[in-house]
Amino acid sequence: MSALGYWRGVALVAAVFLAILLFVPAWFDLFEVLQMTQYIVLAIYALSLAYIWGFGGIVSFGQAGFFGLGGYAFAVISINMGDTTVPFLLTIALCFAFAAVLGYFMFYGRLSDVYLGVVTLVVTLIMWKLISHTAGPEYAIGKARLGGFNGIPSIPIMRVPFTDREMDPGEMFQYFMGLLIFVYLLLHVLIRSKFGRIAISIRENEVRTGLLGYDIRRYKLLVFSIGGALGGASGAMWATYQTFIDPNAFSLEMSAKCLIWVMAGGVGTLVGPIVGVVALQYLSLKLGETAFINNLVILGIVLVLLVLLMPRGIVPTLHDWLRKGVALVRQPSRGGAP
Amino acid sequence: MSPASEPILATSSLTMRFGGVVAVDDVDFSLEPGELRCLIGPNGAGKSTFFKCLTGQLRPTSGSILFDGEEIGGRHTHEVVARGIGIKTQVPNLFEGLSARENVSLAANRRNPADRAARMAGEMLELMQIADIADDTVGTLAHGQRQLVELAMVLAGQPRLVLLDEPAAGMAGEERARLASVVRNLAGDNTLIVVEHDMDFIKDIASTVTVFHRGRIFIEGHVEEIMAHSEVQEIYLGKETNAAA
Repeated sequence: MSALGYWRGVALVAAVFLAILLFVPAWFDLFEVLQMTQYIVLAIYALSLAYIWGFGGIVSFGQAGFFGLGGYAFAVISINMGDTTVPFLLTIALCFAFAAVLGYFMFYGRLSDVYLGVVTLVVTLIMWKLISHTAGPEYAIGKARLGGFNGIPSIPIMRVPFTDREMDPGEMFQYFMGLLIFVYLLLHVLIRSKFGRIAISIRENEVRTGLLGYDIRRYKLLVFSIGGALGGASGAMWATYQTFIDPNAFSLEMSAKCLIWVMAGGVGTLVGPIVGVVALQYLSLKLGETAFINNLVILGIVLVLLVLLMPRGIVPTLHDWLRKGVALVRQPSRGGAP
Repeated sequence: MSPASEPILATSSLTMRFGGVVAVDDVDFSLEPGELRCLIGPNGAGKSTFFKCLTGQLRPTSGSILFDGEEIGGRHTHEVVARGIGIKTQVPNLFEGLSARENVSLAANRRNPADRAARMAGEMLELMQIADIADDTVGTLAHGQRQLVELAMVLAGQPRLVLLDEPAAGMAGEERARLASVVRNLAGDNTLIVVEHDMDFIKDIASTVTVFHRGRIFIEGHVEEIMAHSEVQEIYLGKETNAAA
């Protein structure tokens, strides 16, 4: 694809997002705005994995580790500081650093992909276990009690940056949507940079990239750390959105869902995973309303069908259909049999 | 250049062990600058493992590797490559989704700005005489063509020492003869080690041959000598000495 065509596509998606940012709070009721805010947070979470998987070839089975860490770190820091802007930034930095340390051992220890999956999964499970065992009053960091299985309640609502005013749901929706657009554009710039191209070449052929003289460990580490920072940011947003965080943020389900969203939406795209989050979360919400049949069964069937019919994911498949459709429409007009 | 110049590559007591298997066993190997050396030996003789030790894909169990007087044993691949070693792997490692031209440009882009890299890629493909397939996706090319694309990639990195692991596999007739002339032309300016099974190809590029057998250097000498050597025929070709006559 030409560079111009590429950025035109990115601009189009960003414009749609911007329209959603501007008009949704006015046109939809409170419940729907809250629902969509949730999708935005989870979309950023999905992007954190979509980036490292699709554009660095790193499959993390423990992305929830960063989501949970971000949520808890934000809770603890913001409860202690009383503010939200600085804690949000600190949380992102902390998650970046944590990913960098974990990644250092994995990539500089030359772990193969399978073991990388196992390590990320196990680290997340350890964090889940640890945080679940912090029920007593002795487990407190400053003013914040970790609360074990009960989690941390009364997490501050996101303030308007550099003020003391709490955001109302519409403002929070717009703020988060703005962050999503920012992350979306930032990742595209990163992917198209020289750094991003080398990361993709590692995904395509790690041996050859090394033999061309690139230090693959360093590139993978940076990609993984950026993914960790984004995962942490989404966790912090989740915590302030719910004003509550519990150990389930670290759960296996949270990691698995992320993999499913990215897979369903399309690995190697950024819009795909966002579509994946919205489609599958909306579906499970609607299925949850019907007591008619266990919604997990239907969700399972939908996923099986997706894998069978759209193995590359929703967005790449739709993109292909669209192109074929356009070609079909254009063909007859080029003459041919009268 | 004095004939007793420093070897560009020298290994001493190089050993690579995988559990109980000794793939490379106490190898002392030395190569003069500008030399073209062939490495032969039956499957499992340790040739590819030897290459992987040289390029940092494997960390030798013991022994040393001096490249241009500097120890590179156990260094990482990118460090070794940065010092000027390029390798064409046994199974070509290419970026399958990209065209031949893009593959070679990427390799050249490591040391050169993008516009120069693109020009170099064109020249390399000309040199390999595969300019006609420059814009084909490499995933769709025949094995012999893929070999040439990878060779172009390696050369685009401007290495001083070029390692070629079975470059003629999947080639025949004219294509193979062309590769032989490319390899001959490279020698002198570059130093090359070529691992090959194809005896006709080796005769074509006629040079010093080192025979590997069970991880050790069995014998070294001129190609004619080696081929006439009865024990080499026995271990390498699996022939009975008397039956060869």
